[in-house]
Amino acid sequence: MSLAKYRHAFLIGLQSNLVYRWNFAVRASFSFIHLAYVFILWGAAFQGRTQVGGFDLSQTLTYFVVVLILQFFISAMHEDYEISEEIRNGLINQFLLKPINYFAYRFSIFTAARTVSGGLALVPILIVLPFLSGHLALPEWGWSYALALPALILSALIQFTLAYCFGLLTFWFLEIQSFVILSLAIESVLGGQVFPLDLFPRWLYELSTWLPYYYQMYFPAAILTGRIADPALVLRGLGIQVFWAIALYGIAHLLWMRGLRRHTAVGG
Amino acid sequence: MSGLLHYAKLWLACVRYSIVRTMMFRGDFFMWSLVELFWMSVNLLLIGVIYRHTDSIAGWNQWEMTLLVGTSLLIQRLLMGFFWSNLFEMGRNVRSGAFDFFIAQPGHLLFMVSTRKIDLDGFLNVPIALGVIVYSLRQLGLDPSALQILSYALFILCGLFIHYATLLIFISLVFWLQSAKGVEGGYFMLNEFSRLPRTALRGVASIVFVYTLPVAIVTNIPSQTLLHGVGISESLWMLGVTAFWLAVSITVFHRGIRRYTSASS
Repeated sequence: MSLAKYRHAFLIGLQSNLVYRWNFAVRASFSFIHLAYVFILWGAAFQGRTQVGGFDLSQTLTYFVVVLILQFFISAMHEDYEISEEIRNGLINQFLLKPINYFAYRFSIFTAARTVSGGLALVPILIVLPFLSGHLALPEWGWSYALALPALILSALIQFTLAYCFGLLTFWFLEIQSFVILSLAIESVLGGQVFPLDLFPRWLYELSTWLPYYYQMYFPAAILTGRIADPALVLRGLGIQVFWAIALYGIAHLLWMRGLRRHTAVGG
Repeated sequence: MSGLLHYAKLWLACVRYSIVRTMMFRGDFFMWSLVELFWMSVNLLLIGVIYRHTDSIAGWNQWEMTLLVGTSLLIQRLLMGFFWSNLFEMGRNVRSGAFDFFIAQPGHLLFMVSTRKIDLDGFLNVPIALGVIVYSLRQLGLDPSALQILSYALFILCGLFIHYATLLIFISLVFWLQSAKGVEGGYFMLNEFSRLPRTALRGVASIVFVYTLPVAIVTNIPSQTLLHGVGISESLWMLGVTAFWLAVSITVFHRGIRRYTSASS
């Protein structure tokens, strides 16, 4: 399989995403407004106490800062809608006639988009970092950062593949937006973006570790911020994460094959 | 008077069209109702989880906070029902040039843009938001007077118009940015502050989110009306802020219209 075509897809993706650089910049700035909300809410919740759920205020705020930064590097943002549009408008037909793997093509575009959004988000992050540094508490042990890297790559893959699957639902449903936003609500909670999952009752937390959402955001963020402090637990998590990445790819492939059987290419 | 009647008839025609359209896509209606219900649950779940580990947020107990969040959800559901789709589509239409269609319609442009559709799924969750509010009041052992309830209803209406104004300002940025993709997210970010007690906002945050932007008072004033009674100064504040932000949003919209050059045919 020649990788040159995917490199070109990546480069085109970079260019087309740079066109919307101001939208990304505005979105990154809005995220810091969200961070202000998080700081105020959790600051108020910590009033009169030193710990919530076994972590102090700095550790809790660090978790939310890391989640915010990671979103720009690994989250699927509009990929599901873009895939849906390509199916609905018939643009996907061109890929059926060319020797290109649609999943790999879209993943190249996704990687380009996250490179641009992550790069642009770094600007406001670097500006506010001096103001935030006093509130942050990162783990002192080095293995966290080493193990976080594969967790981050797998998280990006899981996020993309889930979005890809939702995009492919367009083969069956004309409008997928409601499915996407419904899933987003579930992902936000079970992915740990609304609150750290370890604040759940123990049984619910244990249950969440078996679901793919846990590995979308909470898992890498918890490694980076020391909320998962046992290397054995991280390795177990990586194993489950690999399982979900493969399982979701299998589902995506199945949806693609079944979807193509329903697809009708019309017009010249 | 005849002008008002004309617009009332136009709006009722749009309502009829929206109901017929919703009935044609019943599955879609069910899914969107579920989507809104899930997002409402996310907000309530956050409060539930935090209060598992603490008993106060800036001096507000769990049921006072639930009342505040319920109020925020109620206003948001009304916004979703009346205006969200219309303004969201405005962003797309400006970019695609389909906005021409509205300019050619027989009515005030902002009215035509804002009221073409209503979303019944938004309204379906209004009783659930009201249920959260009533349940919180029961848990707090409160029985508000008729004056408190009427004032609360008036402030909810003010809140709806303030949210409409905020969203209109965000979406109008499309006239300058060419695409509102991601920009509407700014509205949701700001709206988060409406779920915070005013007492949690101090210093710069208080200046920005209480006195400069109307996000915190939209929910705090109605909630405090139910909790502690009607305050004259708060009432005047709410009414004044509503008029001010409506005026700002209409100005921004009209400034944006001047930049609109349509798209290719």
